[in-house]
Amino acid sequence: MDEFKTLSGTPLHPQAKALQQRFATGGIDRRGFLRGMAWLGVAVGAAGAAPGLLHAQETPKSGGRLRFACQIQEITDPMMATWIESSNLFRNCLEFLTFVDENNITHPYLAKSWTASDDLTVWDFDLDERATWSNGDAFLPEDVIFNIERWIAPDSQSSNKSAFEAITKVEKTGDHAVRITLSRPVASLPEQLYSHTCAIAHRGFAGNWAENPVGTGPFSLVNHEVGRQAIFRKREDYWGQPAYLDELQYIDLGADITTHLAALSSGQVDVLYRATIAEYDLMQSLPNIQILTGKAAHTLAIRMQVDQAPFDDIRVRKAVQLAADNAQMLAIAYRGEGDLGANYHVSQVQADYAPVEAIGRDVAAAKALLAEAGYPDGLDLELTLGNTQGKWEQDTAQVLQQNLAEAGIRLKLNVLPASQYWPIWDKVPFGVTYWAHRPLGTMTLDLAYRSGGAWNESHYANPAFDAALNKAMALVDPEQRRAAMTEVETILRDDAVLVQPYWPNRFSAAAPNVRGFVLHPSDFFRMDGVWLA
Amino acid sequence: MSLGSFLMRKTAIAVATMVAVSFLIFLALEVNIEEVAVKVLGQYSTAEQRAAWLTQNGYDDPFLIRYLRWLMNFVTGDWGQSTYFRAPVMEMILPRLAASAVLAGGALLVIVVFGLSLGVLAGMRPGSLLDRVISVISVVTTSIPDFASAVFLSGIFVFWLGLLPGASTMISGFSLRELILPVSVLGLYSMGYLARVTRASMVDVMGTHYVRTARLKGASLSRIVLRHALRNALITPVTVIMLQLPWLLSGVIVVEVFYAYKGFGTLLYDAALNQDIYLIEACAMISVLVVVVSQILSDLIYGWLNPRIDLGAKA
Repeated sequence: MDEFKTLSGTPLHPQAKALQQRFATGGIDRRGFLRGMAWLGVAVGAAGAAPGLLHAQETPKSGGRLRFACQIQEITDPMMATWIESSNLFRNCLEFLTFVDENNITHPYLAKSWTASDDLTVWDFDLDERATWSNGDAFLPEDVIFNIERWIAPDSQSSNKSAFEAITKVEKTGDHAVRITLSRPVASLPEQLYSHTCAIAHRGFAGNWAENPVGTGPFSLVNHEVGRQAIFRKREDYWGQPAYLDELQYIDLGADITTHLAALSSGQVDVLYRATIAEYDLMQSLPNIQILTGKAAHTLAIRMQVDQAPFDDIRVRKAVQLAADNAQMLAIAYRGEGDLGANYHVSQVQADYAPVEAIGRDVAAAKALLAEAGYPDGLDLELTLGNTQGKWEQDTAQVLQQNLAEAGIRLKLNVLPASQYWPIWDKVPFGVTYWAHRPLGTMTLDLAYRSGGAWNESHYANPAFDAALNKAMALVDPEQRRAAMTEVETILRDDAVLVQPYWPNRFSAAAPNVRGFVLHPSDFFRMDGVWLA
Repeated sequence: MSLGSFLMRKTAIAVATMVAVSFLIFLALEVNIEEVAVKVLGQYSTAEQRAAWLTQNGYDDPFLIRYLRWLMNFVTGDWGQSTYFRAPVMEMILPRLAASAVLAGGALLVIVVFGLSLGVLAGMRPGSLLDRVISVISVVTTSIPDFASAVFLSGIFVFWLGLLPGASTMISGFSLRELILPVSVLGLYSMGYLARVTRASMVDVMGTHYVRTARLKGASLSRIVLRHALRNALITPVTVIMLQLPWLLSGVIVVEVFYAYKGFGTLLYDAALNQDIYLIEACAMISVLVVVVSQILSDLIYGWLNPRIDLGAKA
């Protein structure tokens, strides 16, 4: 255990030593240990082979062009990326301070090392002095300060504003050093810096990145047409390990995944961004593709706005939860390919998950609560959804409709096209919103349920919940963090903010000759390690 | 009525139609200026930003003034900026229209060549085995909607036989192979309908006195069909063909979307889905223009096919 060293060469953080002892005595598992050590700036190296990693053991080959089927959206401002697809386009040219791999282990990236104060409120990041921008400028602390100040500015519309609301100061402490000061301890700060809205833009960024696509990344943008294609070419002068592929072509094939599979099957594209359960049988029948599967903490949040009638009455919200049959929704809408949710939006695949018991279905209790709330004859509700990830969202809502009918709740479904749902996702009183994977439950809860959060679509506000969340976010030790999460999850479950039926398995597919493509649980696809056999 | 007077009258009607439709489009999309600002600036824009944008772009003016200004801009080619594609609308539409014209041209070729040929062959000898086989084929192809035949054809030629590409993006330039499936889907659907109409028309013409007279004079069947029957039998099929034009140019949304073909139909679909207000307006105007122009064209072709038709008669 003595071989562990910090990336910066400074002595181990006191909590790192404590983690070592806990791991040595079997108090925590290996993955939790590595994650915690990485947060504290300890070099943990590769975390081992990952599911969804294609043939990583072969010797990589340089050259070639890879075609990626993916929606091509505008790439204007990295901190405003609301879709993972657009953040993946940025990802080829813009880099992050840290990198979180498919096992949720944090690694150095633009920051080569970091150290935290004992109380986890002062974080010193050493930037990689080799990093340069594609326009020839050196990568400097001013770049980091420029970005973080934009994220947390009073008029910022980015989700980073909520995610990093604990940041009180960011300052230059050396030619390649930055200090971030927090108002409260946040142990997972390095991990959060790999959120999809945290790509570091040049200090001279003027508001429309595609017009002047300067980046530190391994590719440069050659062409970008919304709704059609984006082309990236390998940068020979890249400061780090060069990419294997000469060119990356992202092709917009529309929303129908069957067309994506047809294009993959006929050799027109090499990798699909995502497939769903609806295409699973078709994928299995195709002999000339590789199917990628994995688990992730992504889900549907069927959330109720707690300040809107009738959801301002907790009895109504509880009745909805009690009438909903999560198991049936998983079995019918996603053919059982996933794990059950328990209405508190933390998944078993997240390291800070605490196994808080789900409240079982009880239609009689739901009816009684409705009668008590003044709805003895049931009530009419409207649920808005946009099938943003596929038809399975609507299938889930239809099962819920049947479930609620048993309790006398007449649910009307308002199904919108995906692009019409996003403008109103946080405005409708009762809506189905897809939430992408985040490595930690606290990261999702901080964005979605903290009082006044930018993405708090349910308008939930509970000081007790916020305090419990703060406590959990300040802990490095996985077991202590998990124990703190028990309180967080229990409060959220008992306040009946959402029906969160299940965690669907992830599916994608690639051509047989694609190597090194990692099915990252957050869909954060780095393409510099991908090559064609 | 002379051809010149006819064209002037038809053009005037077309312009009046365009103006009326343009007013309805503008009314539907721009009567609520707050919504316009949200669609252009995005949901995260602040109220101050929206107010400033509205003032800057003349949205404080009365509705009629705004409509006339918009109409004038449209006529002079200033169609605004697409909020989704972040490009001038005019630059977006013209290449997409050209792409749809290529698809429509291919489909029309299939429809006309096969539809007319099969219809004429079936109508020449009503009740024969050939007539019955062609009728069955026509009924089958017409009965299958385009979204279903797209799935069937992809299932057979892409997934099963692996002979054709599954998407028709034309991303690397024009590809005849990528055109085959969308053209076949569109062609199959309309070809059967045209064949049935042509057959019925042909059967009528083959029963007329002048065809009987030609037979009595000893003319061969091919001469009777080509010299006497075909031209008169074409009037109804031409109506069907001309009705296909606006549909092929601006209405083949399902097929274009299914094959990811970047034509006018996909553009209209994307514009509607993303509430791209200026793009929707321009697409709607172009669609109406295609309809009125194809109507004028079909009237002219009627007159050419049958000079007895009075171009000035009220339809």
